[in-house]
Amino acid sequence: MTASRAQEWVTRAERGSLPLIRLGVWTTRILGRRVARLLLYPLCLYFLASSPSALRHSGAYLRRVLGRRPRLKDYFRHFLTFARCLLDRVFLLGEQTDAFEITVHGEEILHDIEQQGGGCLLFGAHFGSFEVARAVGRRRGDLPISLLMYEENAQKIRAALAAINPRLAAEVIGLGRLDSLILVAERLQRGHFIGVLADRNVAGTDLVRYDFLGKPAAFPQGPFRMAMLLRRPLVMMVGVYRGGRRYEVHFELLAEPMARPQDGQAWIDDAMRAYAARLEHYCRAAPYNWFNFYDFWA
Amino acid sequence: MTTDATTQTQPEAELAQLIVETLNLDQSPAGINPEAPLYGEGLGLDSIDMLEIALAVSQRFAVNLRADQEDNAEIFKSLRALNAYIQAHREP
Repeated sequence: MTASRAQEWVTRAERGSLPLIRLGVWTTRILGRRVARLLLYPLCLYFLASSPSALRHSGAYLRRVLGRRPRLKDYFRHFLTFARCLLDRVFLLGEQTDAFEITVHGEEILHDIEQQGGGCLLFGAHFGSFEVARAVGRRRGDLPISLLMYEENAQKIRAALAAINPRLAAEVIGLGRLDSLILVAERLQRGHFIGVLADRNVAGTDLVRYDFLGKPAAFPQGPFRMAMLLRRPLVMMVGVYRGGRRYEVHFELLAEPMARPQDGQAWIDDAMRAYAARLEHYCRAAPYNWFNFYDFWA
Repeated sequence: MTTDATTQTQPEAELAQLIVETLNLDQSPAGINPEAPLYGEGLGLDSIDMLEIALAVSQRFAVNLRADQEDNAEIFKSLRALNAYIQAHREP
């Protein structure tokens, strides 16, 4: 398998081609979570053996975060954690949150923001389960959470959601329209919470480097520039997988809305630095939850 | 005053100035073809830029641009179209 094909698998496993997702969802539902989880072992062994590129990038990350040479079982655990989080998404998207033990930290931040009126931005990463964090939001009742993403991904995810839980498809906002962010601004005004995965630096044109696990890594400025303009609280949202059926969701305030318009660039810089630092913190606390299987420090 | 298709009118020139200043564009306001697309190809603006323009316009002219308007693609089509919309909807 060539490097580019291995990379393709990673992207695919995450975004998925539609028939594959349908098959996966169907199988998972028929088998149930316990049996489906058993299938993940041979599946991960297979990917371990057939994806040298994903393996290499997993290794580069693990070396940094663990501070030692990763062993085979570290690689396996990394892949398995990824696969388990993916599998659980099917159940979480189906709103079967009762199947999980979810502890939530910092929920009062959301409560305060709701009290003040208006929504906020929830910045996550390809780390653990963004879905479990969204499920917490939904569990709170009438708290609407929309997800903002690149148009290409938005279309695929909408199609996949139509197969899992059509009600959630409307919560996905694609960036492909000129008024995509005007829509975001409006939803925020109406009290919506807007989720963004703010760590992907592939093909970005507006990247800025911040120290991350001991070496500068590029982060995209776009999401933070948007947050600066929208003048709403910026909250970090992370769903950490802790094994078994345990998840831990963290909300923490990254930045208050900018006070003076002339501070734009400084605000963006502070927010990005805080984001990178907190992401590093969560990586150290739960190393195998990192799901960027490409050269993040490129 | 006679204008051909590529000459900016006075209000268009002011709007062009606002856009260039707001976005820190590397281009002279007078050089923006009023008929050229703002978003995508044309000026090459993305959806964050469009948000920034919408915020600047609503602040300067007290005109609200909303996403539930079906014709946002029309309103933001060009400098000319946006200016026409502002002139028709601004507070007196």
